[in-house]
Amino acid sequence: MNADIYGSLFTAMALLAASAVIVPLVSSKRRLAGWLNFGFTAAAGVIVLHLCYILIFQAQPQVSRLVNFGFFNVYFLVDGLSAFFMAIIAFMAMMSAFYSIDYMEHYGEYALGGYYLNFPVFILGMIGIVTVDDLSLGFTISWQLMTVASYFLIKFEKNDEKTVKGANKYLVLMELAWLIIFIAPFFVRNAAFGDSLHSIANNMGATSPAAVYAVFGLILLGFGFKAGIFPLGQLWLPDAHSVAPSPISALLSGVMIKTGVYGILRSFFWMTPHAEHFRMNWPLWGIIIAALGVVTLFIGTVQSMKQNDSKRLLAYSSIGQIGYIVFATGAGLFMFNAGSDFLKFLALVTIIGAAYHVLNHAVFKGLLFLTSGSVLYATGTKDLNRLGGLMKLMPASALVAGIAALSISGVPPFSGFASKWSIISASIIAGSSYLFLAIFGIVALFTSAVTLACYVKFFGMTFTSTGSEWSVKKEVKEVTAGMLLPKLVLAALCLAQGLLPFFYYETIIGVFAKSAGSAFHSSFSDPGIFNSIGNSSMGISVWAPGAGAVASAMATPAVILVVVAVALLLAWLFRKSAGSTERTAPAWLGGYQDLHDTTRYKNRSMFSALKNALRWTGGNVEE
Amino acid sequence: MKILYMIINVLLFLALAPLFEGMIRKIIAKVQSRQGPPLLQPYYDLLKLLGKENMSADGNAAFRLAPMIAFASIVSVIAFVPFGFQEGFLGGYADIITVIYLLTMGGVSVMLGALSSKNTFASMGASREMITMIMVEPVLAMTLIIGALKVKSLGIGASIAGITAGGYGWSVVLMLAVYLMALQAFVARQPFDITEAEIEILEGPFIEYSGPNYALFKYYLMLKQMFYAALFAMVFVPVARTEFYALTVVIQLAIVALVFVLISLLASTNPRLRIDQAVRYYTALIFMALCAVGLSVYGI
Repeated sequence: MNADIYGSLFTAMALLAASAVIVPLVSSKRRLAGWLNFGFTAAAGVIVLHLCYILIFQAQPQVSRLVNFGFFNVYFLVDGLSAFFMAIIAFMAMMSAFYSIDYMEHYGEYALGGYYLNFPVFILGMIGIVTVDDLSLGFTISWQLMTVASYFLIKFEKNDEKTVKGANKYLVLMELAWLIIFIAPFFVRNAAFGDSLHSIANNMGATSPAAVYAVFGLILLGFGFKAGIFPLGQLWLPDAHSVAPSPISALLSGVMIKTGVYGILRSFFWMTPHAEHFRMNWPLWGIIIAALGVVTLFIGTVQSMKQNDSKRLLAYSSIGQIGYIVFATGAGLFMFNAGSDFLKFLALVTIIGAAYHVLNHAVFKGLLFLTSGSVLYATGTKDLNRLGGLMKLMPASALVAGIAALSISGVPPFSGFASKWSIISASIIAGSSYLFLAIFGIVALFTSAVTLACYVKFFGMTFTSTGSEWSVKKEVKEVTAGMLLPKLVLAALCLAQGLLPFFYYETIIGVFAKSAGSAFHSSFSDPGIFNSIGNSSMGISVWAPGAGAVASAMATPAVILVVVAVALLLAWLFRKSAGSTERTAPAWLGGYQDLHDTTRYKNRSMFSALKNALRWTGGNVEE
Repeated sequence: MKILYMIINVLLFLALAPLFEGMIRKIIAKVQSRQGPPLLQPYYDLLKLLGKENMSADGNAAFRLAPMIAFASIVSVIAFVPFGFQEGFLGGYADIITVIYLLTMGGVSVMLGALSSKNTFASMGASREMITMIMVEPVLAMTLIIGALKVKSLGIGASIAGITAGGYGWSVVLMLAVYLMALQAFVARQPFDITEAEIEILEGPFIEYSGPNYALFKYYLMLKQMFYAALFAMVFVPVARTEFYALTVVIQLAIVALVFVLISLLASTNPRLRIDQAVRYYTALIFMALCAVGLSVYGI
C-alpha cells in the first residue's frame, strides 16, 4: 500500500517536472503549449486525486516515512490532511491550466516559455509543502520551488513597473517567511537538519519552555506570513495577487495561501511537545490565533470593500476569508483544550468549519479571479469605476459570477454558508462559557454582512449598473468556451458544496480520522461523533453534549432552497396575477440618460459614509 | 399540524401587513392634522400596481428577479419564524444564523435591483440601503444571540423563548431599549428612511420600478415592517403566551398594533438624518447591544 502511495505521488511529481522541461520548448506555438501544459497537469492531477481518494476513504492512517533521493533523504508524511490539501491543489491546478489555454492569448506581446516553465513547478512546490514532514530540507526545497516559480508567474507582465514591484516585494517577504520558519526548529535541543516533525516534537521534551514557545511563535509568524494574517498579509498579498495573470491569481489566492493554513494546522495540532516537565498552554495559543484571525477577517474584508480595482478587491477579500479559517483554527485550539466536553465537541465543529472553508474558498475565490480575468480579457479593464452593464453582453460569466458572489458572502444555500455557519454558530454557542468567543462570533457575523456588501458591489458594478463605453457600442463579447468551461465546473461545485454539507462534513471527519498523531485524532476517529453531528435532509444538526435535548444548531440548505423556491413561485404568481406586460424604456435621468459615464454613480462613491467611518482600518484608496 | 401553523403564519402576515401600513399612514396624517388616506389604501395600491405595465430600463434578468427575491426572502423568513410560540414545521431545519442570512437577502436584492435599473439615484439609494443593512443587522443578530446564549442553542424557537427565560435582567432591559431604538431603522421609517428619501433621491432604489415589480417591493417592505414588529412581540413580551394558540396570536397581534402606533408617532415627529449621522447612531447601538450580550453571559 505504502509503495503505491509514494509511487503515484512521485509519478505525478515527475509528470509536472517533465512538463516544465518539455512545454517551454514548444512555447512559440502558443495554443499547443497551453494544451500540452493542461495535458501534463491533468495527468498529474488525476493521479493525485486518485491518490487522495485512496488516502481519505480507503487507506489506513499513514505515518512519517524517510524517502531516499540518492544524495539526500527527506521525511514525507502523506496522510488524510495532506490528501485534503493535495486534492484542492491538483483540482484547482487543472482548472487554471485549462483556463490558461485561451486566456494567455490575451498577452500577445509576451512569450509564454517562462509561464509554462513555472506553472508546473509552482504546482509541484505546493504539493511538496503539504507532503514533506520536516521544516528544514524537504520544506526548503518545496518552499523555494513554490516561491521562486510563483515569483516569475506574478512577474509575467515584466514591462509593467507596478507588476515588477509587487512581485519583488513578494519574493523578498516570502524568503523572509521561509527564514523565520527555517530557523524555528533549531531552538529545540538536539535539533538536526532534516528532522521530521515527530522527532522535533520528541526533542521538545528536553527543551526549555521558553524555547518551545519561541519555536511555535516563529512558526505561527512564518506560516501566518504566507497565509496573509493581518498585518503581514497586507504587506504583500494585494500587490502580488492583483498583478498576476488571472489563472495564477486564482491559484495564489485559492490555493497557495492555504499552505500557510496547512502549516499552522500541522504544527499546532500534530507537532505537540512530548514534555513531562511543563504543559504547553494551548488555550493561550488558541486565544492568540483566534484573535489574530478575527482581526484579519474584519480588517481584510473592510479593506476589500474600499477597493476600486476588481482584482485588488478580490485579493483583500482573500485576506478576510483566510481570517475566518485562522479564527476557526484558533478557536478550535482553544476550545479543544479548555477542559469541558461541551467545548471540546464544539472545537471539532469549528475545525471542520475551518477545513470546509479552505475547500469552499479555494473554489469560489478561484472562480471569482477567473471571472475578473474574463472581464479583463473582454473589456481590457479591471477598474470598477469604468465597468458595468455587462450582464446582457456576457450572460454566462454573469451567472457564474453571481453564484460565486453569493457563495463567498455565505448566503444559503450556496457554498460559503455551510462553512461560515459552522464556524460562527459553534463559536457563538461556546460564547455561553467564554464571552470573548461570542464576541468573536458576532464580529464574524457582522463581517459576513460586509462581505456581502463587497460582492454585491463587485457583481453590481461589473455586470449590472450603467455600463460605460461598451453598453452603447456593444462590442464586448462573451469569452470563449475554453474559458467558460472551468468556470462552469467551479460554479457547479459551489452549488454542490452548498447543498450537500453533510457529505462534506463526513468527508472532512474522515480526513482527520485518517491523519494519525494529531491532538484530536481520537475524537475524530470515534464513530460516536455522528451521534452529535446528525444528518437532516443532507443538512447538519449539531447536538452539543450537556446542552439539553434541543439541537444546538442546524442548517439544511436543501430545505432552505425548497422554501425559497416555493416563495419565489408565490412571488411569480403574484407578479403574473393581473397579466401585466413588460416594456423597455430608457432610465429617467433628466434627459441625460445616454451620457452614461458622466452621470453614473461611480464605484468609488459606494458606501462612502461607511468607508469614512472605517477609515482607521487602513487600505484606503486615495483618488 | 405543525405545517398548519406555518401556513397560518404566512397567511396572517400576507393578509395583515398592508393593514398595518394603512394604520401608519392614518396615524401620521392625524398627527400632521391631515385626514389621510383610507385605512385600506395599501391594498388598493397593491391591486392597482398589479394591473400596470412593468417598465424596465435595460430589460436584464437581475432587474426582473430582484423584487421576486426580496419578496421570497421575507416570506421564507416568516415561514421559519412562527407566531404564537408554536415551534414551526421548519424549526428543525434552520437556526437563527440562517434566518439572519435570509433577512439580508432582502436588502441585497433591493440593492441588486437598484444597480440593474441603471439610474444614478437608484445607485445612491442602493449604497445607503447596504450601509443600513450592515449596521442594523448586528443589532437584530445580537437580540437573538442573547436568547441563544442562555439556552445554548441557536434553534429559532429556543432562542426566541430564551431571551426572557430568566426574567427581565439588566441585559434584557438594555437589549429591549436598543431594539426599540433600532426599530425605525429596521422598518426604514423616519428618521431612518434614508434609503428611499422621497424628497431627496426620489424613492432611491425603487425609482425605476413600476407595476407588479414595484408591488412586490412594496409588499416586501410592508411584510418586513410587520416582521420586525412581530419579532418584538415574540421576543420581549412572553407574557402574551397563553394555553390557546388562537388567543396567543390575537394578543400578539394587538402588541404588534401597539408597536406600529409607536413607529408612526416616531416617524411623524422626527426629521430624516443624514447617512453619516445615522452611521454614528448605529455604531452606538451596536456597542450597546454588545454590552447587553456581555451582561447576559454573566447572567446579569
